[in-house]
Amino acid sequence: MLKLDKLTRRFGDNLAVNNANLTIPDGQMVGIIGRSGAGKSTLLRLLNRLIDPSEGQILFGDHDIARLKGKELRAWRSDCAMIFQQFNLVGRLDVVTNVLTGRLHDMTAWRTVAQVFTPRERAFAIQALDRLGMAHTALQRAETLSGGQQQRVAIARALAQEPKILLADEPIASLDPMNAKVVMDALRDINRQDGITVICNLHTLDTARSYCDRIIGMQDGRVVFDGTPDQLTNSMAREIYGAEADEAFNEAATSTSIPTSEPAPARVPA
Amino acid sequence: MTDIPMRGGSAGASGDAPFDAVATFERHRAELKASKRVWNLLALGAFTIALGLSIWISQFYPERLAEGVPRIFEYFGTIMPDLQWDRLFEGRDAQGNAVPGSIIFWYTDFWTYVELLWETILMAITASLLGTAVAFVLSFPAAANLAPNGWVYWFSRRFLEFCRGVPEILLALVFVFAIGIGPLAGVLAIAIHTAGALGKLFAEVNENASDRPVEGITAVGGSWTEKMLYGVVPQVMPNFFSYAMLRFEINVRASSIIGFVGAGGIGAELNRVISFYSDDRVLAVLILVILMVTIIDLISEDIRHRFIGKENF
Repeated sequence: MLKLDKLTRRFGDNLAVNNANLTIPDGQMVGIIGRSGAGKSTLLRLLNRLIDPSEGQILFGDHDIARLKGKELRAWRSDCAMIFQQFNLVGRLDVVTNVLTGRLHDMTAWRTVAQVFTPRERAFAIQALDRLGMAHTALQRAETLSGGQQQRVAIARALAQEPKILLADEPIASLDPMNAKVVMDALRDINRQDGITVICNLHTLDTARSYCDRIIGMQDGRVVFDGTPDQLTNSMAREIYGAEADEAFNEAATSTSIPTSEPAPARVPA
Repeated sequence: MTDIPMRGGSAGASGDAPFDAVATFERHRAELKASKRVWNLLALGAFTIALGLSIWISQFYPERLAEGVPRIFEYFGTIMPDLQWDRLFEGRDAQGNAVPGSIIFWYTDFWTYVELLWETILMAITASLLGTAVAFVLSFPAAANLAPNGWVYWFSRRFLEFCRGVPEILLALVFVFAIGIGPLAGVLAIAIHTAGALGKLFAEVNENASDRPVEGITAVGGSWTEKMLYGVVPQVMPNFFSYAMLRFEINVRASSIIGFVGAGGIGAELNRVISFYSDDRVLAVLILVILMVTIIDLISEDIRHRFIGKENF
């Protein structure tokens, strides 16, 4: 169980995350919604300490994640995998090595320096890739893949970490609808089958509604909504999104709902 | 070119508001140009004064140049070999002596030169490898975006500055004094300079590397070393390689000079023939040095281009 207690992060005078109190039980699939700059990304990055909190606690079991340092912090990051909007793969490394970096935490120093991976680690990485349907690209450079393929490799890297929690920061914002659906299906599958908690920042409302058990709405750094998709009324959603409401309600470009009568729309340039 | 039709009446006729956009732009442009002109004039003035001073101090006057140029040719006259067409390719005679006027006579010490040139190249290779290794290691703490903390950054930057700030020849003198005459002194001197110069270039390449892969490795729980090795190194390797090869070319030239102070290589021989004989032997050595440098440059350039070509598919 992950518990955020009065979690706050300031950037100068700006409160990016303001006094967030949340309890997330194991195995939940959580969607965080809100307009750009609402603090979704900061909240997620606080959880794996890519950003350090200004105040408050992050409790996982008995450990206060907010206080971790050095080796313990790296161990936590290894338990708390993350996928990014821009995938953050190492473009010039091949796909399987990218996935194998998910194992770095458990490797001895000389093996990381010499890039020596055991056959077992390689098999594990290939199985993770195969689960995402990407095993055939294992020896290709990551940068030669399309955006959707890269995001699937990034998910395989996260799986290779054998995480307890999977954070996803706008995982489909750079993808076309078809790939967005593949990625969201994969995240749901990981949540359902492996029981891994998935916490996912989403920009579009319908995706959050159709995939998540629980939706958290953020506005100006504050948690303003916390409930099931059914509890999120249209007027509530409009308030969360404010000026961006129309875009969020009806943005075909990043939505996962594919019209069935006509072919999938062509990829929309970013 | 016809006038673009604009809202608010005929062009230029009246002072209508829409035209003010053009007028305002022109006025701002004129102001910008005027303010730039002042700075340009100031810079030009400063440059002229500096140029005048340096000409005066170095006594770079046309008449001195006119006097000096013939002497350059005069010197070349003294180091020209006395070759004779009819004996050019004649071998050694029965007593084993070379015939004056033949190439063999001119290049009596050919194999000594070749041996020294080989030593020079080996010195350049060793120094380049050593220097590149140090530059590689220090380029990560010396990159502003990657340094683990301010102190490490400050110290690695200053260390690299020191390494490239001291001239090679001075370092060579110190090492010749400390460890004796020979190639080791030259190798160390060039390696230190290489570490400093390449370290700065490598660090700048690192500063241009994308931080996304680095963030990716941070998020899997990677340590600082792992972030560098997996997140940064794959991105910067092609540039590192290219810079290291360029530096190797520079080091071949440097190691052919460094022998002047006794630090090994062909330089010692060049110094000897210039100081003791100043005859055709000087030209003999010079030709070989220039040939060697050119060939190394060509090979190195070819390797770099092949490498870059392969990188871009």
